[in-house]
Amino acid sequence: MKRVLLCVSVGLMGLFLVTLVQSSGLPLPKALTVRPATVDPVSLRTLQARYKTLAKQLTQLMPTQPYILVDTARNHLYIKRQDQVMLDALASTGSGTILDKPGDSKRQWIFDTPRGEFAVQSRLANPVWVKPDWAFIEEGLAVPKSQADRLESGVLGEYALGFGKGYFIHGTLYTRLLGKNVTHGCIRLNDDDLKSVYRLAKVGTPIMIF
Amino acid sequence: MTFLCATFSVLLSLISVSWAAESEVIPPGDLADSASLQEATRVLEEEIKLAAKPQTYVFIDLVTNAILIKGRGVELHRIPIERWSGSDLSRLAAPRRLRERPQVNRRKIDHTAVTEQDPISLVDMPTTFTLKFAPLLTILVLSNTDGNPWQWTLQQGRVWWSRLTAWGQILRTGVMSPPPPSLNLTVSLDHAQSLAWTVTEGMPFLIRRPTP
Repeated sequence: MKRVLLCVSVGLMGLFLVTLVQSSGLPLPKALTVRPATVDPVSLRTLQARYKTLAKQLTQLMPTQPYILVDTARNHLYIKRQDQVMLDALASTGSGTILDKPGDSKRQWIFDTPRGEFAVQSRLANPVWVKPDWAFIEEGLAVPKSQADRLESGVLGEYALGFGKGYFIHGTLYTRLLGKNVTHGCIRLNDDDLKSVYRLAKVGTPIMIF
Repeated sequence: MTFLCATFSVLLSLISVSWAAESEVIPPGDLADSASLQEATRVLEEEIKLAAKPQTYVFIDLVTNAILIKGRGVELHRIPIERWSGSDLSRLAAPRRLRERPQVNRRKIDHTAVTEQDPISLVDMPTTFTLKFAPLLTILVLSNTDGNPWQWTLQQGRVWWSRLTAWGQILRTGVMSPPPPSLNLTVSLDHAQSLAWTVTEGMPFLIRRPTP
């Protein structure tokens, strides 16, 4: 019994030491690095030329025109042109909350702002909100049958820029909530920033969201 | 002689500037070192494929110790890596796709609720989590626990638990299959939560490995 206890103790001590070493940031053992085959000077020059060509290719894929960048974690929207920040605006993005679809317990809406690369698809002045089903259900109201009962003007601000699947960059009446994740997936801005975005973004302007 | 020296200096600086302009994408490391150049070139080849598509991707640079969220080759967000360790890095040449993002405790909207419901935010994100990929790769993201022994104990408990379950499986099945490549990345607590927030299912990950 004593021997078993001793073995277990030694094992635990060993594990503890391994863990300590791993979390201490000591230099890496060689097993954690990659060593390709040695290359002669001619191959080295070829490799350098190849690297330069590829670096150029990647640079050519970078947007040269202004693009919109949205940081959903910190709720900021930027307009950037190469390294230059043309606009830094406080925004509100998706709340990440869920809402059950009535009559179907397995299906639900998830109110996230989509991540990835999109493009401005539409630019609207004085937009009217066509309220989707979830807007009624979330308030405990019945979903109207008539389309006319879904229209609501003045809530999206002066402009809206659509980027697909019903998602928009638009204004808000709730400016005190800017900087928080409170939306149903759209990106809200205050009036002045929205005006700047509307002025700078064209149809096709890339929108990168992370 | 002075003229020659000056001309040579100007030429040298022009060459350096031209290198720097194109090297901003992925710093090649030591230009005279074939191993680091080979690795940088391999990563560039893969990144060009990823950047050609309308998507965001993650570039883990174990040479400069940074996790970069990128799109079209542009750095969108940078997360510094404080420490890392890993196994089987030689098998990490191909990009990986994230199978599942970290679990988030999402709140349900309740229209009958009297009080305003708090929105989800960065602080709701996990500080220690595992990312699993296809092809096989496991990344354990740990947050820096310096000055927080309780957090350190919890984190190490989690690391030990994952090792014990792996051994348990070997004992149960009697099969000792080679473990998949793995990476342990330690970042600050805020950055761990930020990474958990940012990654999505199917997101491509590209890894640049150090050379000796």
